[in-house]
Amino acid sequence: MNSANRATDPAEPEGSSAGYGPWRLALRRFLRNRVAVAFLILFFLIVAFVLAAPLWANHVAHTGPNETHTLEKLHVNGEIREVVTPEGKPIGPQWFEAGGKFFLGADSRLGRDEMVRLMYGGRTSLLIGVASGLITALLAISLGLLAGYYRGWVDAVIGRTLDVLWSLPVLLIGIALGISLAVGGLKIGPLELSGGSIWNPIIVISIFSVPYFARPIRGEVLALGEKEFVEAAVAQGAGPLRVMFSELLPNLASTIIVFFALIIANNMLFEAALSFLGAGVQPPNSSWGTMITVGEELLTTQPLLAIIPGVMIMLTVLSLNIVGDGLRDALDPRSKVAFEARTGIAETERAPV
Amino acid sequence: MKNPRAGVSVLAVAAVAALGLVSCGGGGSSSSSSGGGGKKGGILNVTYASFPDYMDPQLSYTQEGWSAMGEIYIPLLTYKHGAGTEGAEVVPGLAKEPPKITNGGKTYTLFLRPGLKYSDGKPVKASDFPYSVERLFKVNSGGSPFYTSIVGAEQFAETKKGGIPGIKTNDKTGEIRIELEKPRGTFSNELGLMFVAPVPRGTPDEDLSANPPPGTGPYMITKSQPGRGWEVERNPYWEKANSKAMPEYPTGNIDGAKFTVVRNPQTQVNDIEQGKFDYMENPPPADRYTEVKEQFEGTQFRIEPTISTYYFWMNTQEPPFNDVKVRQAVNYAVDAAALERVYSGQIKGTQQILPPGMPGYKKFELYPHDMNKAKELLKEANPSDMNITVWTDTESPNNEAGEYYEGVLKELGFNTKLKVLNADNYFTVIGNRSTPDLDTGWSDWYQDYPHPNDFFQPLLTGESILQTNNGNFANFNEPAVNKEVSELGEEQLEEAQEAKYEGLDKKVMEQAPWAPYGTRTLSTFVSSAINLESVIYSPTFGAYLTSFEFSE
Repeated sequence: MNSANRATDPAEPEGSSAGYGPWRLALRRFLRNRVAVAFLILFFLIVAFVLAAPLWANHVAHTGPNETHTLEKLHVNGEIREVVTPEGKPIGPQWFEAGGKFFLGADSRLGRDEMVRLMYGGRTSLLIGVASGLITALLAISLGLLAGYYRGWVDAVIGRTLDVLWSLPVLLIGIALGISLAVGGLKIGPLELSGGSIWNPIIVISIFSVPYFARPIRGEVLALGEKEFVEAAVAQGAGPLRVMFSELLPNLASTIIVFFALIIANNMLFEAALSFLGAGVQPPNSSWGTMITVGEELLTTQPLLAIIPGVMIMLTVLSLNIVGDGLRDALDPRSKVAFEARTGIAETERAPV
Repeated sequence: MKNPRAGVSVLAVAAVAALGLVSCGGGGSSSSSSGGGGKKGGILNVTYASFPDYMDPQLSYTQEGWSAMGEIYIPLLTYKHGAGTEGAEVVPGLAKEPPKITNGGKTYTLFLRPGLKYSDGKPVKASDFPYSVERLFKVNSGGSPFYTSIVGAEQFAETKKGGIPGIKTNDKTGEIRIELEKPRGTFSNELGLMFVAPVPRGTPDEDLSANPPPGTGPYMITKSQPGRGWEVERNPYWEKANSKAMPEYPTGNIDGAKFTVVRNPQTQVNDIEQGKFDYMENPPPADRYTEVKEQFEGTQFRIEPTISTYYFWMNTQEPPFNDVKVRQAVNYAVDAAALERVYSGQIKGTQQILPPGMPGYKKFELYPHDMNKAKELLKEANPSDMNITVWTDTESPNNEAGEYYEGVLKELGFNTKLKVLNADNYFTVIGNRSTPDLDTGWSDWYQDYPHPNDFFQPLLTGESILQTNNGNFANFNEPAVNKEVSELGEEQLEEAQEAKYEGLDKKVMEQAPWAPYGTRTLSTFVSSAINLESVIYSPTFGAYLTSFEFSE
């Protein structure tokens, strides 16, 4: 079976799919899922919001994300307001009263603009989520293909390695590695990363997320390996690489797309946890995780400082998860139908965390 | 001594300049430290933000530890039970009287008070003192360097065998004679530290935090659960023996105390307000500080100044900070007023090595904040290397002070990289000279004892530069300063010496190895059940347990 064969959709009204290719059919199905579309739009809005960070910083707030304003005073409606009081209390949200400066207030006793840091912090969080997602996908697809295709001892070695990785207390090891890399950086051959490099958390997160992605890929490859089209390809003299990349990989596309969206969401949560615990993004740079840490200390007097980045993480992760679900339903509708038929309930499966 | 560890706890061995803030001294001749109006008895419920580094007198080197054990283990000399300068006075502890100093300041002779007993009933012997000093070296205590000037101690520290020939004792007469290699003006202060408080001969040479050895004070530890808490009760042999032998030492009002580690300072504040705990050892978190101060100051809350200096060090042996102009530029650029806000007003700006309250302190301001002047100086210096790494730890607000400092250096034109390390191992990492890129960073220093030498000898002399456990983060090694510190260290502290330390303070700051920015204040916060007036905040041991009393 090739990817075109798999496009047959038992949930699709008969005759309505005539003449459409598999991807177009999937797009039609996805667009019919209004919740998924709404959250996809929300995700794009979040991306647009963080991409607009330099515009807001330069033209509205007139400050960078790491610039401190501890002793600065704002003139608001004829009134002088201190960015940080002598007792160390940062100013609250000013909305547009100060021309957009300190729109969400100051982040801490250092008097940095919370809104600017939120936008730049979002860029960092998303960058880490996407970059680590890509690395995870690359590693997981390679390992999944090798394990599923070769089986035998290759499968055993890869499978047990993934089991070991899965059985580790991920967060604790992530923290230990994150802190160790933050102090000493990373040097492997020509690859050299300084302690504060954003690539340190990306690498840590990527590695620990591989099992969550590689296992379903391996399972899918095992199932596909039994199909006639693979046997036909082998009979025609195709080598292992050709079978893996020309026959198996195209048939894994839907699984990869779905898991990629979900793994970005998971990795963003992982980054937030690592940064909250001081092992992720290093100061003075911000990510939504580090902003929660800073805000946590002022939770009783300035709760918004922790709540706003928390809500941003929640919305981004939620939108990615719902979009991921929508993509899975659109690309492989049988999985949904089979699951509902088996259990009688709507499927709520998520990538394990 | 350095700020010890993560969390809100702050290592503060001193609060001398608290004159007038504590209305009832309570030290001296009374056998009770009652502030009056209180009642005797009751169990005090205390909360700490973290468990002390050790519950072992020879090992502990943090305020939590000294505060926890200050009245469990009494040294030969001790500090007067009083606040402010009164509490900085060294007085006899287990010794009958102050040491007789002879042989040009190299021989100290003391006599043990007769009839003293440990809390397990064993008699205290003069020979227990050298045993305790040897134990200090055997367990590799952080306090060892204070006692290496005793004849033979340095060798014992290396071999851990053969005893220390510089300490001679006579159990019959109670005589203890200590011979030093050279005069040491701070030695009486050092004999007043808990590091050398006697413990019974035979006490194991290992960390006894889970099973602390018997002591000689009015209270004894009955239970210790490292990481969780500990309990103390009255020492039965205090009433029977020790209080008679040393009547000027307070007996205490409460019958005992239960200490619980509560890691969340917000919870600690709530629990004090609700009366679940009677006293919190660490200050309220910055977020609650103003609220607590406004609501409870004078009744349940009191600010306690410390003798401490918070500063940014600059590595004087490597570019760009090997140029004095660059260091001076940094001093002009750092604004203590901004850092006062970063510390929520819990720091008072200063720009010198010696903090207020320390003998020899006289206020001066060599580098009033001036960013333009800083930039001019830096332009003149034109350093070849503008890439620097800035170090700080994770403990708030020190982490924010580090971020502020990094911002200042960036504004000056440096290419900066900030490294924020966990507070638990920060000083170990920056104290290891093989750690790469130790250019500049944050640190603090609280007095070990009220003597200005304690701010120069361990921090700013060539001999204090060590490959590991280095305390001279600036690697400052100025021969003239080394000579003066060494000479002053041999003299007893009197007015003439104080004037010399004052000059030394200025001389060092002209070389600007540090950019000091403030001295810290701590606080006493008690529940409404406690008589705040009675609580004495000691310059060496924090709040004295014997000074607590419940209100009528």
